Amino acid sequence: MGATIKIPEPASPFPGLGVETEQGLLQWICAVDHKLIGIMYLVMSLLFFVIGGALALLIRVQLAVPLNHFLPPETFNQFFTMHGTTMIFFVAMPAIFGFSVYFVPLMIGANEMAFPRLNAFGFWMTLFGGLLLYFSFLAGGAPDAGWFNYAPLNEKNYSFHKGIDYFSMGLLISGIGSVATSINIIVTVLHYRIPGMKLNQLPLFVWMVFVNSFLLLAAFPSLNAALALLLLDRELNAHFFNTAAGGSALLWQHLFWIFGHPEVYIVILPAFGMLSEVFQVFSRKPIFGYAFVAASSVAIALLAFGVWAHHMFAVGMGNVANSFFSAASMLIGIPTGVKIFNWLGTIHGGKIRFTTSMMFAIAFLIEFTIGGVTGIAFAIFPIDWQLTDTYYVVAHLHYVFIGGTISGLLAGLFYWFPKITGRLIDERAGKWFFWLFTIGFNFTFFVQHILGMIGLPRRVYTYPNLPWYGTLNFVSTAGAMLMGVSGLVLVYIIWRYGRSGKPAGTDPWNAYTLEWATRTSPPPLKNFEELPAARGYRAWWEMKQSGLDGGAAVSQKEIEP
Amino acid sequence: MPQPFHIVLLQAVEDPASIQAERINHLFNHFNIVAALVLLLVIVLAAWFSIRYRRRHGDNSEGSPKSGNRTVEIMMIGVPTLVLAWFFYEAFTVGNAVMPSSNPTRPPDIVITGHQFWWEADYPGSHVVAANVVHLPVGKELLMELRSADVVHDWWVPQLGNKMDLVPGKKNYLWLTINKPGDYIGACSEFCGEQHAWMRIHVVAQSPEDFSRWLDSNAVDASPPKDDLARAGEMLFQTRSCANCHRVAGTPAAGVAGPDLTHVGSRPTLLTGMLSTNERNLADWIDHPQEIKHGAYMPEFLFAKDSVLALAHYLEQLK
Amino acid sequence: MIHLVIYTEAFFFLCLIMSFIYMAYNAGFAPRELSRLDIRSAGVYTVVLIASSFTLHFAEMGYSRGKPAALKAWLIVTIVLGAVFLAGQGTEYGRLIGDNITMNGSVFGASFYTLTGFHGLHVVIGLIILLIVLILAFLGDSRSAIRTIAPYWHFVDVVWLFVFTVVYVLPQFSSI
Repeated sequence: MGATIKIPEPASPFPGLGVETEQGLLQWICAVDHKLIGIMYLVMSLLFFVIGGALALLIRVQLAVPLNHFLPPETFNQFFTMHGTTMIFFVAMPAIFGFSVYFVPLMIGANEMAFPRLNAFGFWMTLFGGLLLYFSFLAGGAPDAGWFNYAPLNEKNYSFHKGIDYFSMGLLISGIGSVATSINIIVTVLHYRIPGMKLNQLPLFVWMVFVNSFLLLAAFPSLNAALALLLLDRELNAHFFNTAAGGSALLWQHLFWIFGHPEVYIVILPAFGMLSEVFQVFSRKPIFGYAFVAASSVAIALLAFGVWAHHMFAVGMGNVANSFFSAASMLIGIPTGVKIFNWLGTIHGGKIRFTTSMMFAIAFLIEFTIGGVTGIAFAIFPIDWQLTDTYYVVAHLHYVFIGGTISGLLAGLFYWFPKITGRLIDERAGKWFFWLFTIGFNFTFFVQHILGMIGLPRRVYTYPNLPWYGTLNFVSTAGAMLMGVSGLVLVYIIWRYGRSGKPAGTDPWNAYTLEWATRTSPPPLKNFEELPAARGYRAWWEMKQSGLDGGAAVSQKEIEP
Repeated sequence: MPQPFHIVLLQAVEDPASIQAERINHLFNHFNIVAALVLLLVIVLAAWFSIRYRRRHGDNSEGSPKSGNRTVEIMMIGVPTLVLAWFFYEAFTVGNAVMPSSNPTRPPDIVITGHQFWWEADYPGSHVVAANVVHLPVGKELLMELRSADVVHDWWVPQLGNKMDLVPGKKNYLWLTINKPGDYIGACSEFCGEQHAWMRIHVVAQSPEDFSRWLDSNAVDASPPKDDLARAGEMLFQTRSCANCHRVAGTPAAGVAGPDLTHVGSRPTLLTGMLSTNERNLADWIDHPQEIKHGAYMPEFLFAKDSVLALAHYLEQLK
Repeated sequence: MIHLVIYTEAFFFLCLIMSFIYMAYNAGFAPRELSRLDIRSAGVYTVVLIASSFTLHFAEMGYSRGKPAALKAWLIVTIVLGAVFLAGQGTEYGRLIGDNITMNGSVFGASFYTLTGFHGLHVVIGLIILLIVLILAFLGDSRSAIRTIAPYWHFVDVVWLFVFTVVYVLPQFSSI
């Protein structure tokens, strides 16, 4: 490799902030350093995860037995709406942005994002959007029409109180944050890569996040348009979705799902990226089929815009439209399936280390496949005609969101924990968390496939005492309680080992990508002083192999998972 | 055809009672077999690789550097594509068999209108307007028209086949060829507001003769009250605004905002299955509806106790 | 970077235009209301806005050739033309409201004001940024801010061409 390259410092020093400064809360509020902002995103995500999880537990208590009176119907409807909205917009998205803004600069050998102040702006908009949404509880009631908020139920004459207005404003505001951060990520990846790191040889996490940002910039405008039109209806008495006055209930559904379907790929692609890194490092192998994994991400991003109406198979669009969206929805399963087999190919022939991170990755393979095949069931539109809007969908979506996105995020969290905190968790505690979470999760949601098949629709605050309804719901609630306990264990692990775990050193996993090349964990304020010109998607590994790391790498045998 | 997932015997997608449900169930079983095989493959590979390629204690070497195999990749794309192409063909044929057209030219046999939170059933060709309990004849290919009076609802009776939304401003259609008489339970399957959970469906499928008999008995006007209490109840009904929302055929009451009550006494349940139809439950409902089904559009009338009992007595006799 | 902003805003306008067309075919627009649109005056203001793209291009050429006077002069002309366009929109709105075509009066009203209104809002944002660039030019700032705002302004003009076509021109030919 060639001579080392000095990594440029940001142009002007941060006003009023010296390099070693420690100003407590003020430092965080004024932070423009990508690592601090990344941590703030992750803390926000964890906080809302606990709240969204608590809402889920309350829902499951109400549904534990038939004809229960724990929650009145209006409260239940607000809770399931807030649960879904929170988990998608204020848990999954901030977690993804947190990991992205923290690690993308590090993995491309940069010292900062392209626009540090825009980065901070993106975070604070996301947070304020969430706070505005939750303020609705104090202002007459939270939104109660479901997270996809169909028209005309979302109109003023059917939803009198202000909850849906807070929903609209909160999502518009946090959406601005998401768009700003995506622009930031794209410019960072395009212009701040260390020389030698080509766009077609990016670490897969960086590539997925990069592609994902384009997807996000194309999808959010549709949500913004839908929310803008809804606010015009509700506040200025326009008639876009008000069928009695000539509006269209279906226009809302189209606009929402043109956003909504790409949104689910927006929350899974970065998880795929994290998992790609985790599979490589903990199998001690390069990814199987780099080009296919990278190309299939682009295929998914493009196809994501061709499938939205599979959420509308039952609205009466006609079989020509149904067939088109059915074919497209099946098609998008193929690049996704390709990835699963590529990850299996990665662990084949490897030397697998069963760290907590890797266990989540392997569980993901199975759980996401379950979610994926039930998704194909819905693509087959006559089957969708039986199962849509039932608990079978609830099972499917939780298998892809939790078995997919959350498992990926947890694999990433335990992988990057030593770099962010400088400490190692106790792997036994990690395994306890893994098993409580995984067993709880599967008990909660597997039986819901059956509940859907035996006729239980979704979003019902109670159900009659029909055969098996009570038993299966009870099992589901028991599983949810186990998940709740595991959530507490997670918070404990982060708190305890983040502060007083064993020191991790700079590269405890003997990993492959540049974030592990910083001279400390956590990285110093200026990530890198200098780096050799990188090559390939395992740049740090190449450097270690050529002795360019100056012997900094930690010997693998010091870490026993 | 063996039923590998026949876990429950009642009211399941797996227990079809119409031609449409049978076709979909058949397709679903094909799908379940393939899906189970795919899942099994992934589980076996993940488990086998995890065990076979686990790091042995003390081994700090790298894994095999092999990082791709074009043939394997092409297979992994090609095989699923072929399988999915087959399922698309099945989807297309079953979909068109179950829903021959979304713009039929012949008049419907029954028109269902969804309201928050009850079902209205009109039988064109007769004057029968029923609510919540829907009688249908077996053995015929029925065309059901679906409309909404307010928000989006969804008609779903799993044993009778596919669901269909009721969209305000739009007319949707379902074909039903029920092949066994019986009682079939379903539920509204599109979140429609506070009491979405209690917008359940009860279909009574009858032989064509039984159905005609039911239709005829429901086409007649309401039976006149049989005793003084019922007469008092009828007078209250007509004068105390009940008639503004509820129709009772043969009387001046012609309201359409609420369910038709001409033969309410002969329906097995009230409030789409929440309560059995008897005088006590009718009285409770009239007395404190918002406590029983909060969010329903039935107002709290603050009637005197005697009035409530009279009304309930009157309604219970409307068979 | 600005191209990414244009990319995302393009999708936003695509959604609004598609919604307008959907509403036109769904319930339909009342011919009485459509006939109140004044395509001639809207056409004049369209020419004004397109001209402002050309003047901004001259301003950019002034910047790249190191001629600050040309930059400032053409920027001023661009801003004036943009403001004239907005004034034209404003008078059109005033006239239509006087004719009882309002946001809440009809589906056409809602669709019309929303689509043209969001476009107008983007023009306002563009004018504000152009003003800032002008002030910076007067302060002697030689950074290339105009290179960033120029694509955005051209984008706003192109969007107007689509909006003008869909709202003013097409109804003349079809029977919506």
